[in-house]
Amino acid sequence: MIIIKPKTEFVVTVEAELTPDLAEKDVEEIKKFKVYYGKDVVELGELFEVTKEGDDKRLVLDGDFSRVKWIGCRMSDGEIVVKGSVGANCGAYMAGGKIVIEGDADDWLGAEMKDGEIVVKGDAANLVGCAYYGDATGMSGGKITIEGNAGNYIGEKMAGGEIEIKGNAGDFIGTEMKGGTIIIHGNCGFVGGDMKAGEIKIGGEFELVPTFVKQEDAWVGDVNVKGEGVVRKL
Amino acid sequence: MHHALHIKNGIVIDPKNGVKAEKMDIFVKDGKIVEESEVKGEDVKVIDASNKLVVAGGVDMHAHIAGSKINTGRTMRPEEMRVVRNIANKFRAAVGRVLLTSPAIGYEYAKMGYTSSFEAAQPPIGALHTHEELDAIPMIDKAALPVFGNWHFVFKYVEAKDIEKLKTFIAWALERTKGFGVKVVNPGGVEAWMYGGNVKSLDDQVPSFNVTPREIITSLIKAVEELKLNHSVHIHCNRLGVPGNYETTIETIKLAGGFSNDARQVLHVTHVQFNAYAGDSWRTVSSGAEEIAKTVNSMDNVTIDMGQPIFGHATAMTGDAPFQFTLHRLTGARWSNKDSEVEGGAGIVPLVYLPKNPVHALQWAIGLELGLLIDSDKVVLTTDYPNGGPFTEYPYIMAMLMSKKMREGELEKVSPYVQKASNLPAIDTEKALEEVIHMTRSLPARILGLPQKGHLGVGADADIAIYNLNPLEIDTSNDFEKVYKAFKTAEYTIKSGRILVKNGELVDEHWGKTYWVDATGKVDMEAIKPDLEDYFKYYSVELQNYGVEERWLKKPERIVI
Repeated sequence: MIIIKPKTEFVVTVEAELTPDLAEKDVEEIKKFKVYYGKDVVELGELFEVTKEGDDKRLVLDGDFSRVKWIGCRMSDGEIVVKGSVGANCGAYMAGGKIVIEGDADDWLGAEMKDGEIVVKGDAANLVGCAYYGDATGMSGGKITIEGNAGNYIGEKMAGGEIEIKGNAGDFIGTEMKGGTIIIHGNCGFVGGDMKAGEIKIGGEFELVPTFVKQEDAWVGDVNVKGEGVVRKL
Repeated sequence: MHHALHIKNGIVIDPKNGVKAEKMDIFVKDGKIVEESEVKGEDVKVIDASNKLVVAGGVDMHAHIAGSKINTGRTMRPEEMRVVRNIANKFRAAVGRVLLTSPAIGYEYAKMGYTSSFEAAQPPIGALHTHEELDAIPMIDKAALPVFGNWHFVFKYVEAKDIEKLKTFIAWALERTKGFGVKVVNPGGVEAWMYGGNVKSLDDQVPSFNVTPREIITSLIKAVEELKLNHSVHIHCNRLGVPGNYETTIETIKLAGGFSNDARQVLHVTHVQFNAYAGDSWRTVSSGAEEIAKTVNSMDNVTIDMGQPIFGHATAMTGDAPFQFTLHRLTGARWSNKDSEVEGGAGIVPLVYLPKNPVHALQWAIGLELGLLIDSDKVVLTTDYPNGGPFTEYPYIMAMLMSKKMREGELEKVSPYVQKASNLPAIDTEKALEEVIHMTRSLPARILGLPQKGHLGVGADADIAIYNLNPLEIDTSNDFEKVYKAFKTAEYTIKSGRILVKNGELVDEHWGKTYWVDATGKVDMEAIKPDLEDYFKYYSVELQNYGVEERWLKKPERIVI
């Protein structure tokens, strides 16, 4: 296990693709890991304090990481625990393992993730499990759980896996969704635009785009794109 | 800085001047190639090119490198912008997978030893944008060909059979757009698209005008030849991308029959691969390349370029708006339509060429068939960037044309459909290195009418590429990997006498010229003034605000006819 602590408050954002793989290296090597601080390439050790305890594949990020982007990007196993909040793109392209965020998550949480698990104890911002602009497929497997609320654009172009939001969410839920499940316990805005397949379950109030057909216990659409997605009450 | 160069002991191939792999020295002074005596007593930088190939810088006569089309392509394909090619440092930041940013276009051409590139379809009303973008491309010389084939003025004068006014209009338009020559895209078809249709033959009437594609093409050829422009009519044929279209292509090529020019062709038919399909549907599609090759080879006034697809990512972007819509319906990919008022239109659709897809494999085979079956003096190597793929893969095409063994290896990787639908597997031709050099340098320069480009004779522009390849020793049939690798990154790229690339790395930045052709002295500009004033009532801009002033260009080079 390694513990990483920010040395200062960051003036500009840090881009650091920190994964549990780092825990397998020795401390000196970890300190030399290259990260971007604004436009400059610097060594991890210049910005963070790094300590190592044992050899398990575990990363503890102790402090405020809300200006640190790309944490857990492309990770495939092991665990990351963030004691504070994280910046954008956390868990992007993730293929396995687990990320637990005790604070809040910024935009693009679990974007295009393929497998593994992300748990956010606080809130998440926009674009959870979405496809990056221009790509055809968003989240395709794994699970994202958000204990608090989430922003707009949840699971856009999602093809598999599950997103569960315990609180409320914003607009554009499951846009162009082609598979997988989104569960929102609270309220949300517009749901299901151009949805092709998959399922969205909502506990509270929501607004459905008009191109869905009411069936016994659910709405099916989006008929605009000959979709067979299902939206239902929890 | 040295202003004179001595390229010593290189093995020179210079087809225009009849130099076939000879060991010789090249001297450069003030951006031009000169006699040895000219550099006597100068501060000369000597470049040792022993056992290396020395040729003129490559000339790309048909690529989409600037203007509203490529820019819309960039906007609608953010996923293309994630490949970082150059981090801003001494040079400018450059990104792009196949769709490159403007600096990346210049840098990638230069790294490959290319020193000129022509934007092949400039919407006239978008001229200012096109030139702004051309001015953002470093390293190379460039120019743009405005599109004429669907412009209402052209229809009007063709309908009235008024060649004098058509000539005057062409001269006016080239001056206003700072254009280089006359491009024609699906003549009449894009106008028909304004009503949701297309034209299906050379003799279909264009909606609302009493003209046909045949009349548009022949009138434009007549006008361009009477004006004696540097470049001939440059045509993207009707019925592009439709099985069975090779017959229309052949008919179009034959329209050049009645015209002649001592210096060059009278009709250049572009990206012919997309117009060389036999059969009557995508199920029965096969190659029409052999018939087209026979026609082109039998004529002495027509040239073509290949439009070779490269497997992988591409973006279809043409002024052929109806075709782009068909492609969008065929593939289900994103689509953007552009409308250029009364001048034409365009469309953009992302595309991936897959080797196992029968149609894509056939397209790939047809491009190569054209390259192999047509005389090397009549076919230019292009990918119709980014329609067929990246220009950075020109070395792949060069190597393929020179090696049957390489083609056999590649044929094993593609859909077996090409075995029955094309003749590529049976073609034994292997082009010589001199021929491929001609197809990428001296030939496109001649077709464009640029006597100072594409060769290494005294007086030529000092645009030179040096490759790590000894033409006296290389076996192009068997060492195709070495050939590919050598042409992929130049040892040296010299532009206007300045060393821009060394060992494949950028070492200097240069801003090339933008050529434009001024034919206004040959016509009476007053003759079309009332017509212009009349038509500009329907434009979104005033006549006096239309076009680009020469002083707005970074480095304009006016060619006065």
